[in-house]
Amino acid sequence: MMSMIERTIYANTQKIKDPTLRGLAESAARLVLENWAYLLFVIVLWRFPYIVADLTDTEVQPRRPTGDSVFWQSEMARALALTCLAMSYNLLFGFSGVISFGHALFFGAGGYVTFIVLNEYDASYQQGALIVVIGITLILALFSRMNVRQLLIIALIGVLLTLLLMPGEGTLSFYQAIGLAVVASIAVSLISGVVTLRLRGIYFAMFTLALAEMFWVLAKSGTFRDITGAEDGLGFRDILPESFNPTPTFDGSRLDMYRLTVVFFVIVFIAIRRYLNSPVGRVMIAIRENEERARTIGYNTFYYKVLTMTFAGVIATLSGLLFVIWATDKRVHPEALSLKYTVDPLLNSLIGGIGTLTGPVIATLGLSLGETYLRNETFTLDTGLFGILTVWQLAVVLVVGLVWWLFRRPLQTGLRRVVDMVRRDTARAATFASGTHGHWALILGYYGLVVLLLLAVGLVIGSEIAHNLEFKGDVYNVSDLWELFLGILFVVVVMALPHGIVGTWNTFWANRRVRRLEQSAQQSAPKGNNSAS
Amino acid sequence: MTDKPVILEGHALRKEFGGLVAVADVHIQVRAGSLHSIIGPNGAGKTTLFNLLTGTLKPTSGQVIFKGQDITGEPLHRRVHLGLGRSFQITNIFPSLTVLENVRLAAQALGGDNFKFWAHFKRFKQYTETAVYAITQVGLESQMHVPAVILPHGDQRKLELAILLASDAELLLLDEPTAGMATEQVPMLLEIIQRVRQTGDKTIMLVEHNMNVVMNISDRITVMHLGEVLAEGTPAEITQNETVQKAYLGELYGDFAEIIQEGA
Amino acid sequence: MLTYFANLSPQHRRSWGLVVAYVALLLAVSYVDFGYNTAGQTAFRGILLGMLVFMVASGLSLIFGLLDVLNFAQGAFLLIGAYVGYDVYTSLDAGTTVRFLAAIVSGVVFVGVLGAIMETGLIRPLYDRPVFQIVLTFGLAAVLLDLVERYYGPDPKQPLDPPGFLDNNFTLFDQSLSYYRLFIIFLGLTMMVGVFLLLNRTRIGIIIRAGVQDSEMVQALGINVRLIFTLVFVLGAALAALGGIALVPYQGATLEMGNQFLILAIVVIVIGGMGSYEGTAIASIVVGLTRAVAEQLSLEHFDAPVLAETSILLLMIVVLLVQPSGLFGREE
Ligand SMILES: Nc1ncnc2c1ncn2[C@@H]1O[C@H](COP(=O)(O)OP(=O)(O)OP(=O)(O)O)[C@@H](O)[C@H]1O
Ligand SMILES: [Mg+2]
Repeated sequence: MMSMIERTIYANTQKIKDPTLRGLAESAARLVLENWAYLLFVIVLWRFPYIVADLTDTEVQPRRPTGDSVFWQSEMARALALTCLAMSYNLLFGFSGVISFGHALFFGAGGYVTFIVLNEYDASYQQGALIVVIGITLILALFSRMNVRQLLIIALIGVLLTLLLMPGEGTLSFYQAIGLAVVASIAVSLISGVVTLRLRGIYFAMFTLALAEMFWVLAKSGTFRDITGAEDGLGFRDILPESFNPTPTFDGSRLDMYRLTVVFFVIVFIAIRRYLNSPVGRVMIAIRENEERARTIGYNTFYYKVLTMTFAGVIATLSGLLFVIWATDKRVHPEALSLKYTVDPLLNSLIGGIGTLTGPVIATLGLSLGETYLRNETFTLDTGLFGILTVWQLAVVLVVGLVWWLFRRPLQTGLRRVVDMVRRDTARAATFASGTHGHWALILGYYGLVVLLLLAVGLVIGSEIAHNLEFKGDVYNVSDLWELFLGILFVVVVMALPHGIVGTWNTFWANRRVRRLEQSAQQSAPKGNNSAS
Repeated sequence: MTDKPVILEGHALRKEFGGLVAVADVHIQVRAGSLHSIIGPNGAGKTTLFNLLTGTLKPTSGQVIFKGQDITGEPLHRRVHLGLGRSFQITNIFPSLTVLENVRLAAQALGGDNFKFWAHFKRFKQYTETAVYAITQVGLESQMHVPAVILPHGDQRKLELAILLASDAELLLLDEPTAGMATEQVPMLLEIIQRVRQTGDKTIMLVEHNMNVVMNISDRITVMHLGEVLAEGTPAEITQNETVQKAYLGELYGDFAEIIQEGA
Repeated sequence: MLTYFANLSPQHRRSWGLVVAYVALLLAVSYVDFGYNTAGQTAFRGILLGMLVFMVASGLSLIFGLLDVLNFAQGAFLLIGAYVGYDVYTSLDAGTTVRFLAAIVSGVVFVGVLGAIMETGLIRPLYDRPVFQIVLTFGLAAVLLDLVERYYGPDPKQPLDPPGFLDNNFTLFDQSLSYYRLFIIFLGLTMMVGVFLLLNRTRIGIIIRAGVQDSEMVQALGINVRLIFTLVFVLGAALAALGGIALVPYQGATLEMGNQFLILAIVVIVIGGMGSYEGTAIASIVVGLTRAVAEQLSLEHFDAPVLAETSILLLMIVVLLVQPSGLFGREE
């Protein structure tokens, strides 16, 4: 069975005689045909500053760094950093079934570790780092059941990294500091993995939550103001190398930095995709599906989980750093370690579709850019939406819908009782309760009636509230209510749309394909050999 | 048969769940190349014994010796690499992966390419080939690209067997491979098992409730009851064994009683 | 009591030994390091903190042990209890004692109703999707926190006067303390015993435990199991709210206190063994003491009390490494 893409490629490359050339042409054609949507998206991203400039009639690199193009460059760059964070979270949660509630720790570490090691580095720390490497190896030796070879490899890598990244004399370069941040996130992954990954998943969730919260408290506390800057955080303005600095004063490098961000995003996307399609990634998906089974066919699931966690942690660390670079005030705040940056990627993965590659990208970009776009909008309860409903009417409809959906079972049961009582016609009511097709009209009628009733009551009460209470004329900011909106969206998605946007879409098509396959299998199967079910 | 070496030995294996003794100091020896059946009523401890042998559960006391090596402390996944594979009584697969992927993963586990995280998994054709071969053996080739979860129960049982075959274990522990299958499909599955055993020179431990089958294909039979070994021997010996007859076989297995009468 | 110790499994007996030895060590260290009076004050503070933590942890442990739901919104329940209690306490026009009682009742009822809505509307449909359940409670915690911040503002609320009948001081270890602290300890102990008795000695408790063990069987007996699940959830939520209100006269109400106590409670149930009620009780005291002693130690030696935060996490790591199922948990 050949797919359409394969057929097209085959038909068009037959004419090429030279086998090497043909091979090249084939791969190129496959790359384009299979990934045209991604390629298109990357091109749009790359040209994004120019597109905005054209649309808004502003300059891409004006002398004074203001204007829509410049503004949207940094908005897009920040959104891309958050996208990478969400993708790394989804790699863990969606593809591997590992629930981490401490992802913010990695995100914040990007900024904090880079800054702190740059600022506080003293050549003598090299020895200290070597001792830490030995310590971690010892802990692993005691508690992780790794064999000697694996331990030696880990120790060796640790020592090499230390010598490479931490000079015995002099100071650190910015790149070395980034390297150390990455190493730190690897160490954290290893330790939390060894402590909890062998236990049930919730231990891991709780442990990571506690760990991240602890670092958040430490970063906030005034006690370490010298090191962490307490509530004010740490300012990167002076330590960023010029080529990394997209601040107004260095506006020449802004566009380069934007492109670097796009490149980072593309690399992360490709890396995650390759990882998932590699033997390791396949095993990870198997572990999510059925961990016990994965172990009984011979996988030491622990290693795979630690590896994936490390990978996700490193991506999150780098995204965190990128986020700081693009932050308007160039500072890393304790907030970067707070729950917000765990909840955010979780939310975006869920809305986009857990266990899908594109879901987190779509959701994060859509939501963060949407927030920016609507940030300055205000509305009152009477603002009309698309000329159909006013805000408060929409709210009533949504609340009624939610109430109905959440309590549909008790409401249905109650309804049945009422029907029973009113009609005193038990036989009829029994068929009604069992929902046989003959009573479709009846069921629809009753349920429709209830919804309408609820709606009517809601509208009356809502209108009372909207027009007689004190906040009648209040003006609301979209940005104030944004988090609340996200929260409601979150609940709705978890309850009603567990596969998210992309997941639902994929499931729909997958089901269709399966049905086709089933049909063709039935046709091709010899008669009388149909499998019993 | 007795001249073949012992491949797997359970020595004084014991498992307690709280106060319940599920397996009580069981001694068992399985010889290479044989088909060794375990029978016993529900709750006799057969599955628990399998769990102890394969490492799913840690024994309260006792040892497991595989090819002369004490593997009691070896974790589950390591035992597969040593050559000890199992299937489950309750179907245990990767539900949303395709049939091929289910089996391919089992083949991949045994190779040395598991940590190559930069290569596409399809590059390692040998695993796909092994998988396709195993799937063909159980006759699921027309369903290869279908998610495992939508297979009918009987086919899922076959898939379970294919997963086991792909991991190329020397010793296969099959826990009621026919459980819940339609009766007319049972002979086919058992035929596959027989074929695998003969062509691949494998050892098989089998839990099975159908006495006809057990008596026909087994080399040795162990009878378990309330966690203990009640008797062990060739099918003929078991049929003759009075304790076994009296204790429970006659009442619990109707068809077994018939066999005995036919024999007498 | 004696039969309890006689029936302990060897593992639990060892855990008791470890706990006693560890607490003795803590006390000894603080006696040597801080001297008699400060050590006594520290220990008292530790027990007080332990009781407060217990109020959140017991709800978490109950809900987890009985329903197998890890309710990350437990911290938010505490927070809401505290804020609602604060609101009622400051806005009523009556004597302090009346206002205090009103605060307790209103906070507990409010959070109880909230818990009931949450269980029936959101948690119940997800019993067959446990991962989403965890994620949902986690997300809800963030949502609730946001709502509280929106409604009550980001500024911390100052501690209030304790109710009149407790507004006296007594002297312990050379330190003048409010009776209110004794009241918190008393409240914690009452809860400890009360919930234990409720679960083990009353009819409803037996039904709860049976309903959790084998819900189909109990359903077949004509008991509404769903209602029981809701009740357990409400009970857990109400305990957390009670803890929150008890905190208000002691340290006021801040937006951070929810998560702060949630983390402590998590550490407690991990150390005590997930789902074990006695484990939760014992571990609460242990964690409270550890925290207080570590705070005092880091204050005296490093002038950095915030370091105490790390001490309980270290404790959790050590327990997880040595005894993965917690001190009094069932083996996995
Ligand atoms: N994880 C467990 N926890 C507690 N008890 C268990 C556990 N697993 C098995 N048991 C008990 O151990 C006993 C033996 O069970 P086992 O599953 O080994 O029986 P079996 O011989 O395989 O029965 P069947 O023919 O029904 O498969 C049973 O009483 C069972 O209830
Ligand atoms: Mg069994």
